[in-house]
Amino acid sequence: MVERLKPVDVVTVGVGMTGAIMGKELAAAGLKVVGLERGSVRDTVPDFQSPMIHDELRFAVRKGLMQDNVKEAVTFRNSSDQTALPIRRWGAFLPGTGLGGALVHWNGQTYRFQPADFIYKTHHEQRYGKDFVSPELTIQDWGVTYDELEPHYDRFEFLLGTSGKAGNLKGQIQRGGNPFEGPRAREYPTPPMKEPYYGALFRKGAESLGYHPFPQPASTMSQSYTNPEGLKLQQCVFCGFCERFACEHFAKASPQTIVLPVALKNPNYELRANCHVLRVNLDSTGKKATGVTYVDAAGQEFEQPADLVLINAYALNNVRLLLNSGIGKQYDPTTGEGVVGRNYAYQTVSNVTVFYDEDVNINPFMASGSSGTVIDDFAGDNFDHTSVGFIGGAYIGSIMTNGRPIEFHPTPPGTPAWGLGWKQAVARHYNHTVVLTIHGSSQPTRRNYLDLDPTYKDAWGLPLLRMTFDFPENDLRMSNYVTEKAAEIGRAMGGKTVAAAPRRGPFTSTVYQTTHNTGGTVMGNDPKTSVVNRYLQCWDVPNVFVVGASAYPQNASYNPTNTLGALTYWTLDSIKNKYLKSPGPLVQI
Amino acid sequence: MSQSAQANSIAATAFVALLGQFALDHVLAQSGSRQADVNRGAVIAAQGTAKVPACAQCHAFSGASDGSGTFPRIAGQSTYYLAKQMHDYTSSARANPIMSPISKALSADEIADVSAYYASVDSQFPPLATADAAIVEKGKQLARVGDAARAVQGCNNCHGPDGAGATPAIPYLAGQYAQYISSQLQMWKRGFRNTGPESMAAIAKQLDDQQIAAIAAYYQQVRGQQEVPDTTDASAAKR
Repeated sequence: MVERLKPVDVVTVGVGMTGAIMGKELAAAGLKVVGLERGSVRDTVPDFQSPMIHDELRFAVRKGLMQDNVKEAVTFRNSSDQTALPIRRWGAFLPGTGLGGALVHWNGQTYRFQPADFIYKTHHEQRYGKDFVSPELTIQDWGVTYDELEPHYDRFEFLLGTSGKAGNLKGQIQRGGNPFEGPRAREYPTPPMKEPYYGALFRKGAESLGYHPFPQPASTMSQSYTNPEGLKLQQCVFCGFCERFACEHFAKASPQTIVLPVALKNPNYELRANCHVLRVNLDSTGKKATGVTYVDAAGQEFEQPADLVLINAYALNNVRLLLNSGIGKQYDPTTGEGVVGRNYAYQTVSNVTVFYDEDVNINPFMASGSSGTVIDDFAGDNFDHTSVGFIGGAYIGSIMTNGRPIEFHPTPPGTPAWGLGWKQAVARHYNHTVVLTIHGSSQPTRRNYLDLDPTYKDAWGLPLLRMTFDFPENDLRMSNYVTEKAAEIGRAMGGKTVAAAPRRGPFTSTVYQTTHNTGGTVMGNDPKTSVVNRYLQCWDVPNVFVVGASAYPQNASYNPTNTLGALTYWTLDSIKNKYLKSPGPLVQI
Repeated sequence: MSQSAQANSIAATAFVALLGQFALDHVLAQSGSRQADVNRGAVIAAQGTAKVPACAQCHAFSGASDGSGTFPRIAGQSTYYLAKQMHDYTSSARANPIMSPISKALSADEIADVSAYYASVDSQFPPLATADAAIVEKGKQLARVGDAARAVQGCNNCHGPDGAGATPAIPYLAGQYAQYISSQLQMWKRGFRNTGPESMAAIAKQLDDQQIAAIAAYYQQVRGQQEVPDTTDASAAKR
């Protein structure tokens, strides 16, 4: 028996970063908001306190903060002629769960995308000609521009308190910042974090080759900060337990430290934790959502009617919820028709490892998830692609996030994989090694997509999401090229041995790379190639907005969080200033 | 992760935040490649020098000071931490009318030696009256978990399991005199002390007087922590 609850104005599916921000803002605007979070309530005190929170086995190895894949997994295959199987233990990517979502266990890397990224197709046609990009790559424009998003980037960065150095203030290039970035209205809210030794070595090497190093923008605080919501963050202590862990120090921007306490104080806002949304309910026309159905911790099903349904889950789960709710047409790779699940993209990440003599002490354990130094010279379209044979690029950085004992043990090529020789090499190299990260773009293709698995179901009997993905040749060529540039920097850094490992296919789901899954509910100006319009509003069901990196038509060279924060405020703006005044489609076609 | 690995990682961690490159260079430059002379440090502790009185007059030769809590227990505090405090007294970054003139009158080598001496002492705890059990329990809660309503994290996050310290940068609190802990927290709270990470002031400002008293009462009665090896001091000495 499904219990029908009292209608509310807004329901958010998920209370992570986007759900918390939207819930807070709309409740403040006077609407009755219910936030449905499938995971548990958790907070800095008492849940994130040490020594428990520094348990590497529990959180890094056994991935204690991630989605329970016994209940809900993703099935995976490299291509359509294979049979997908469920990912029983998270490997390549780690979907989070619980109040605050992935912003609880993130590293805090806070990049903006470039102006060209938002007009990706147009930009390439204008710079290189109409036939330059292979038709196999289904790149497209976002329908929103950098200039439109700039105030929202700004607002989000000030919410987080991001530490960094501007490289472009209103068109004026600034020394010490990233000269390739789009113009900013003002400096970062807090100055850059201290440069770790590995960052300093990289800076020297990169500068010697004529590149433009700058401090990585970090939402782990360089100093204490009070955000516009009145919430206080503290200075990061470089403990090296950011990614996969939660911060015990109030030093990392997470919903718990930047926005949730304000939402929870508002009587218009109600958080319901351990409530798992099964589907968005539609009326008989299929063009209007009536609310959502969810199941609580006791297994009881509820129908929560709402005027406005905001889908704020993780990118992959946003796609799955639309498909399980019958919203939008499933993408078909054979015909190229349909939109939901289309343009799934990832991130093309590789590494270069620089091994030093024993007199160079790196102390990699003194790190935050986002400290370090990077260059943008080979990101996006910052360099001439005319004759390199690919589009896209990567930032290169010395951005080691930790030196944790169980999993950080770099060894040079030729080291035995186990036994005495391996142990000796680990002891020899642990404190004398710098790992460079090459963090690259991911182009969408016709054959990479998401749909519902025909065989496997979750704990509630609903089909799992099926991922069909392999690295496009374009991206492997990109990785090869930029990784070699990183190796040159590694040699200029004075390493004795430099080991370059460009990304190679096929994509494997068992080796950790990054959790930057994007696409599947792509935004745009054409309903034939997008699920949501430029305001993240569903073309088919206008009282549903889908807010997540699932909206990215392709993934840029950068970590996706900041752009998602900007899109969240952009969408909020359109809801508050346009949609609520006149509910209905915000874009007419 | 074992407790000592845990403590080491916190220690290592705190290094960057606490020191800043300047302070680190400063201290290392002063000690240079010279190995600290513990015996010479013991003589300074017992007799003083021509310019300064014996440390033992207030801190006792054992480093346990006296039970009044006016002077901190310094026995077994890390060499690095003790030397840094002395240099902060010298520069008046940490102002104290007794310690500043003494520090200024000692050479960098003498500071290194006497710090190494007190770091090496394994001293007994004087018998003290026990505080009210409810207050101690409240302090334990704050030390281990913090206070959600005031957005204060647990002290042990930085100061190590039950205040054992996180060498070399973060002092132990276990067994420290309640009077001393509480007076220092009040100084952090009121802005008279700021020789450490910003978060120490931020935390102290969030605590009320009862909480400060409870934390102090709790740590004073903690005993029997495993010794945390002071590895960084050893490697600094090698250098």
